[in-house]
Order: sequence, then C-alpha cells, then structure tokens
Amino acid sequence: MRKTILYIALIAIFSHTVKAQTTGYTLVPDQAKFTEQFAAVAKKTETIKSDFVQDKNLSMLSDKITSKGKFWFKKENLLRMEYDKPFEYLMILNKDNLYIKDGKKESRVSVKSNKIFQQINKIIVGCVQGAVFNNPDFKMKAFENKGTYLVELQPVAKTLKDFFKDIDITVDKKDYSVTTIVMYENSGDNTTLHFINRELNNPLPDALFTIK
Amino acid sequence: MRYLLLSSCFFILAGCSSVYKNLQPSVGDISNLEKFRPDFNRALYKTEVDVVGHHLSGLLLIKTLPDSSVRMVFSNEVGFKFFDFEFKPDGEFKAYYVVKQMDKGPVIKTLKKDFELIMLRKKDIQVATVRQDDHNVYYIIKRPKGFFCYITDKAGTELERLEIASPRKPIVEAIMKNHINGIPDTIGITHKNFSFTIGLKRIDR
Repeated sequence: MRKTILYIALIAIFSHTVKAQTTGYTLVPDQAKFTEQFAAVAKKTETIKSDFVQDKNLSMLSDKITSKGKFWFKKENLLRMEYDKPFEYLMILNKDNLYIKDGKKESRVSVKSNKIFQQINKIIVGCVQGAVFNNPDFKMKAFENKGTYLVELQPVAKTLKDFFKDIDITVDKKDYSVTTIVMYENSGDNTTLHFINRELNNPLPDALFTIK
Repeated sequence: MRYLLLSSCFFILAGCSSVYKNLQPSVGDISNLEKFRPDFNRALYKTEVDVVGHHLSGLLLIKTLPDSSVRMVFSNEVGFKFFDFEFKPDGEFKAYYVVKQMDKGPVIKTLKKDFELIMLRKKDIQVATVRQDDHNVYYIIKRPKGFFCYITDKAGTELERLEIASPRKPIVEAIMKNHINGIPDTIGITHKNFSFTIGLKRIDR
C-alpha cells in the first residue's frame, strides 16, 4: 500500500515537471554548444523583417485575443512593432527610447522609466539577438526535435518572476531564426508571438526606427 | 460683519444642498432600464485609462461565463496583463490578478464600483426607485455610501448618463452608447473628484 502511494506521488510529481510543450522534444546534449552556435548566427544577423500573429490565451475564460502586425529589428537595439489588426498601435524602440502611437495619441518615454517595457525590450530583443540565452536573469534549457529547437527560459530575477512563469522560444534549425515566443504567466494564461514570412539580413532604412 | 456671517452661512448651506433634492417621485417603469443592460456575452474593447497624469492603453475583454459570472481582463497591446476581475451574479467580486503597481485596495474598489455601474445588474435594478424632473427620469439604486443613478429621457428611449453619487452630488459620470446586439459600442467613465477617466471603444473580433 505504502509503495502504491509512493508510485502515485512520483507519477504526480513527474507529470507536473514534464510540460506539454516539450513533448516530442529531447534535451540537447551539449547545452553550451547550442548557445555558442546560436550566438554565432545571431552575431551575423543584422536585420529581421517579419509579420507576426500575437495570441493572448486566457485559460480560465477559454478565450483568446488575436492581433496581427509587422515586425522589424535592426542591430544593435532597434525594434519596430506595428499592430494593424484589430487595432492600430505602433511601438518603436530605439536604444533606450520608446515611442508609442496609439490611434492619434503619441508618447515618448525612456525605457528605463517603464518597468513593463524594460521587460519587453529584454525579452523580445534578447530573444531575436540570442542575448537572452546568456542572460543571468534566466535559467536556460534547450530541447530539440527534427526541425526545431525549443529553448525554455525560467526567470530567476524577482521582477521577471512577477510577470512570467517561464518563456519558451522556438528556433528554426535551418537558419537559427526565432519562429515563436511563448510567455507563460503564473495564472496559466500566456501570450504567443508567431513570426511568419521572416526575412533575414535585408537592408532596413534607419528611418523605420526614427523617433521624431 | 453680520452680513458677512449671514452670507457665509448661506453659501455653506447652498454647498450642502443636494443636486437631487428637487426630483419628484415618479411612476416610471423599472423595466425601462432593462433594455440598457449590456449583454456582455463576449466583447472586446480598445481601452484608454488616464489617471492623474498617467496614461494606460490596452484591450479589455469582457466575457460572461457559463455560471453567469462576468469576467473582465485588461492587458496592454503587447499582452501584459493589468487585471483580471470576476463579478458573480450574487454580487460577489474576486480579483484574480492585479499587476503590482495597481494592486492597492482603493484602486481595486474604485474599478469594481465603476464596472458595477455599467453592468446594470438585475438584482440592483429590481430595487430601484424612480424620480423625475422636467426633462429626465432618474432610476436610483441605494448603495452603502450614496447611490447609483441611471438617467433616461422622459420617454425612456435613451440612457443619457449613469452616475455614482454621494447623497449630495455625482462623483462619477458615465455614458454607454450605441448598443449593437445588446453590447454598447462606446463606454466612458469620468471621475469628478480626481483626474481619472476610462474610455472603451468596441473592437469587432
């Protein structure tokens, strides 16, 4: 009887540690090598242009909010995200400065003064640049299947833990580009960013990232 | 000096008088209000919040769950959640999540009350008393400190405004307009005693 209880307890613990999203993946044997390879490719990635689909999944409501737009990234720290459906919203990150155009309303703030956008900067730019894999704020574990890597990032820093339970990044093995970022909240909700129609290293004008 | 004292007393008394004191009892039909009750089966709003110099924007999803409780989730455009509230049909309220910066009793209490005003819940409407003046009909629902007041035109065809009031004057004014299939297209909430406004514009799925 005692053994049965022990088995049940072990199964319960085990089933909580194996996450559904890593099913079909195996642990990358040499984690350091993966990080090196990713960093080497990311070093050569000067620009990214992509469309994106963002799904905010609300578990308790069995509902999701989908929005779509365009994404531009240019080294070192230039990011433009333009939502066009179902609302118009433009966000330009130019180093430490953030510009937001929300309908007719425009605002300019320093990223340093806004904790939420500090995290967005850290995660989105960090993910596409690969810097997040060496970030001590996260504990990293990489998995792989035939076509993709799945990188699981667990926040270590308290400020990040308040926002996320963990962050999963899917990387295409062909070109080491990020195809999906999933940010899991402690509540069970998550936000998924799917990057589609990706173009790497095509010239992008600086004007795209200019904050006037 | 005597005149000064007298006029001061007059102004103090005038200041204490209620803006609702001249309303007359009316035999208005409470069911008139029912048609303005939003049917938040599922509604997504582009949302703007301005509070003492700070601006927040994002999406507010309002959804009625199978047990008839209404859930409201507000997150910014990039997906960061600000709050997740539940309003049960029996009046119970639960905050499932509130971002640290907003997680303060008075903030949650204020938001709860503002959203209760626009929900026009059945159990509240049933106990409304009806009053009128020359232009409008006032549906008044007593609350622990003051009341909710829903103001329609004389014919009861248009909900002109909604108010949260102290016994003397409105402290919150709201509008709720252009119902499509029972869901208002535009909602605006303005606080009168401090700088706080909420603006909702419906986005179709």
